[in-house]
Amino acid sequence: MIALLLIGFGIVALTQIPGLVRKQWWRELICFAVLWSMGLILSLMISMGITLPPISTIIGKSLTGMFGI
Amino acid sequence: MLLEQGKISDFQLSVLIMGFVFGSSVIISPGQGAGHDAWIACALGLMEGLLIAWIFTALTKQFKDKTIIEINSLVYGKILGKFISVLFIWYLFHLGALVLTNYVRFFKLGVYPATPKTVGLLILMLVCASTVGRGIEVLARLSLILVALIILVAVADTLLLIPHMDFNNLLPILDVPIGKLLWASHGAASFPFAETVAFLMVLAFVDKSEKGPAAVSRGLLIAGFILIMVVTRNAAVLGPIVTITNYPTYLAAQVIDIGDILTRLEVLVAINLITMGFIKISVLLYGTVLGLAQVFNLHSYRPIILPVGILMVILALTNVGNTLEMLDFANKGFPIYAVPFQIGIPLITLVVAKLRKLPQTGGDKV
Repeated sequence: MIALLLIGFGIVALTQIPGLVRKQWWRELICFAVLWSMGLILSLMISMGITLPPISTIIGKSLTGMFGI
Repeated sequence: MLLEQGKISDFQLSVLIMGFVFGSSVIISPGQGAGHDAWIACALGLMEGLLIAWIFTALTKQFKDKTIIEINSLVYGKILGKFISVLFIWYLFHLGALVLTNYVRFFKLGVYPATPKTVGLLILMLVCASTVGRGIEVLARLSLILVALIILVAVADTLLLIPHMDFNNLLPILDVPIGKLLWASHGAASFPFAETVAFLMVLAFVDKSEKGPAAVSRGLLIAGFILIMVVTRNAAVLGPIVTITNYPTYLAAQVIDIGDILTRLEVLVAINLITMGFIKISVLLYGTVLGLAQVFNLHSYRPIILPVGILMVILALTNVGNTLEMLDFANKGFPIYAVPFQIGIPLITLVVAKLRKLPQTGGDKV
């Protein structure tokens, strides 16, 4: 599973990075790298069985609690 | 440098709005909290949605050819403007993930129970990312075909269900307490009608910008009437069951049985969800990446489509614990959560722009 993930993310990086370097779009490259790294880290966490907090459930429960619904 | 070169017509905008409104509403009926009076809640929600659309289109009328990100920078200044823009982008991103969650939870429960959730999500996201990469024009042209097909299916489903309808199921009218009805109607406004606030990222690319507001209202009205028809049909066919089922449209379509030949037509509802979900997710992904590109002054939004799409899929996989939590959030949490984004940001921006007499002619001319 982890190997598959790394291959997938590797393909995404290979389709974008060479073009960005060739055009010298450094700002785009940084943005891409930050988002790509976030995606990779979170995906690895999920594939390793780490449970991420359910954001919508937390938001929903906080709001309904706050407004007494 | 212009991030989007494409232009869409006002007619295409109307159709895109219709596809966006159908989105996941084809399975999660709006106004469901009002029981058999859901059609009234839906009609009231449509009116609230039209009012909100009037607010955000007034903003785009004032700042022609500008997205909400550019408008925020002009109205609030660079730093506060970008902060508010990031909040708005979060809303688009989160909404996209919620639609993906609706999609995958429905398919896991009813259509493909043995297929891993990630597979369905990644396939849909790849199609959406590919479309967004080709620009708003391609998405608008695609929506013309898909929305026409879906309206045809919704009308055909309704006609085939006529023999199973019992309009006594709609009686007594206004049976629910007024507070509950108003809450359900606000719920119907926030999901799906006022969600069209996402078009603040698209309205700048309508070729005749003065026709944009009318096109938004037209799209909302047509989609609203079709949704009211679907909600009324569901209540008439299912009766009291409509209040306890998660997916009333899907359940109603299961009832269709014409001479033992035309049966199991609920798969059409699943097709509706795939196609309209695709339009809604694509518009939200487009808004998110275009917004990020404008906030960070990028040359193009295309390089960040795939990583943002992947993050949307991750959020869709993790943002709720189970289907009941998803429906609970949709019915109770979302109507409150959405207010700052759907009403707050457009209304306050419009008021501040009026007070500051923006856009100014001369130095600050937009």
